[in-house]
Amino acid sequence: MIEVVYALWRRDMIKFLRDRRQLITSLTRSFIWLLAFGLGLRASVRIPASGTDYVSFLVPGLAAMTVLFASMFAAISIVWEREFGFLKELLVAPVPRGAIVAAKILAGSATALIETSVMLLLSPLVGARFSPLGALASLPLLVLFGMTVNALGIIVAARMKSFEGFGAVVNFVIQPVFFLSGALYPIAGLPRGLRVLVLVNPMTYVVDAVRGLCIGHHEFPLLLSTAIVVASALLLAALATRSFRRMEA
Amino acid sequence: MTAAIEVVDLKKSYDAVEAVRGIGFTVRAGEIFGFLGPNGAGKTTTIKILCTLLQATSGTARLAGLDVAASPNEVRRRIGVIFQDPALDDRLTAYENLMLHAVAYRVPRTERRARIDESLQFVDLFERRQDLTRTFSGGMKRRLEIARGLVHRPDILFLDEPTTGLDPQTRARTWEVLRGLREKYGTTLFLTTHYMDEAENCDRIAIVDHGTIVALDTPAALKQRVGKDLVAARTADPAGLAKLLSEKYGLPSTPADGGLTFLVEQGDAFIVKLLTTDRPALEGISVRRPTLDDVFLSLTGRQIRAEGAEGTAAKIRAMVRRRAG
Repeated sequence: MIEVVYALWRRDMIKFLRDRRQLITSLTRSFIWLLAFGLGLRASVRIPASGTDYVSFLVPGLAAMTVLFASMFAAISIVWEREFGFLKELLVAPVPRGAIVAAKILAGSATALIETSVMLLLSPLVGARFSPLGALASLPLLVLFGMTVNALGIIVAARMKSFEGFGAVVNFVIQPVFFLSGALYPIAGLPRGLRVLVLVNPMTYVVDAVRGLCIGHHEFPLLLSTAIVVASALLLAALATRSFRRMEA
Repeated sequence: MTAAIEVVDLKKSYDAVEAVRGIGFTVRAGEIFGFLGPNGAGKTTTIKILCTLLQATSGTARLAGLDVAASPNEVRRRIGVIFQDPALDDRLTAYENLMLHAVAYRVPRTERRARIDESLQFVDLFERRQDLTRTFSGGMKRRLEIARGLVHRPDILFLDEPTTGLDPQTRARTWEVLRGLREKYGTTLFLTTHYMDEAENCDRIAIVDHGTIVALDTPAALKQRVGKDLVAARTADPAGLAKLLSEKYGLPSTPADGGLTFLVEQGDAFIVKLLTTDRPALEGISVRRPTLDDVFLSLTGRQIRAEGAEGTAAKIRAMVRRRAG
């Protein structure tokens, strides 16, 4: 069982590392965000209360964003594999469905971890200042968040019949989760309606906790945020296994 | 000895459509068993149920005595499946594809390498083992899939339209490999096809149409069942010949290019009689034994037509598959 999970995990990793062009794209994607948003808004945005500069404020949000995108794309690869037939080979093999889901989630989290680490390492180049130890301590939280998103992606993928629905996933899943998370702005001064949406979004707590660890600026107790991140990871992993079991090739 | 495959009154419906309507048959161990029928006859649905990819609506299917619905994992371990469309990971090498398969099917670690090498050599792809499978041609991909199906030494190998879309040479080569497989490992082969000549390779054939089996026998016996030979006569006066055949011998005939065709028992003897007693004005005449095409025609009143419109057929298949989920 462990060997099968490892073999399937390794397969996704080989493919991630093998395609150089795609590798470079995914490693630089969020750094470009940091350049455009961070440098673009640094002059005109000041974070109230703490007075942190915007680039440093943005880095934890973009770290979570990187994980969000990478994990979601990794999970959606299931749809790709169904279109191109490989999924059938997996479904007809004497492998527990849970092992396939576990391998997908672990591989998606691993690639997300690599991408977000690269972004964190590059960010001082554009003037981001944060605690290196805090960033290191954030990684487990980011990995857990990656697992959550991956599981969500698998649930979505199990219902998608073709790749044509992918745009809808970006519009109705990735973008709302990202924009309503406080990754780009502090949530303290938000209007009430928007604040409610932000508060039910698990990504909010990831961003808040990572920001707390990196630059000491946070809204919620670290313990609460961690508990929410862990709980949502467990819940979605269970749901993902269930929906994968029901999926037919 | 337990039958390799035992199917009793199997049914599968999608919403309002009955794809399989009560199919039953038994396949002996070591047999090459074919499901022959036009696209949409329920062949792929049946194979998917037997491979545990679909749940039957009712009825039972047992593989080596194991119920596919009750113990799917036990069944999965004993079977190999080669799908209609390639199911390879085309960004992995041939070797990596097979290694993943060996791990998934729990081939003992010490045997993996040897088995993979042996399988690759069996299908003549050993030299290409380190190449990405996306660089392979259609025929090579199919052969690699057969190799993959062999790595865990399944008791039963399922092949859904194994040679569709392949050129004649590759098809012949694929069949060589398949027959060699049975000889060497005693593997039971269950395949679906809409090619008549491909069905000739089977020990027994079930002819399926509209989700039911309309006949099940050896190819020779099925052809025997038609009982008659097909006579094709070339003549400048087909109307006169048709009149003679129907009035004197009670034989219906079908107009054809430059003459007509008709079915008659013991065609060779009949021709001699016709030529010596009636002396019709003929430019040529030929007799042939019935083919599986004629069998299908006599059983269903239609011909299996798949070639010609291959593109359309594939499109419709894809559409049906999407709907069927």
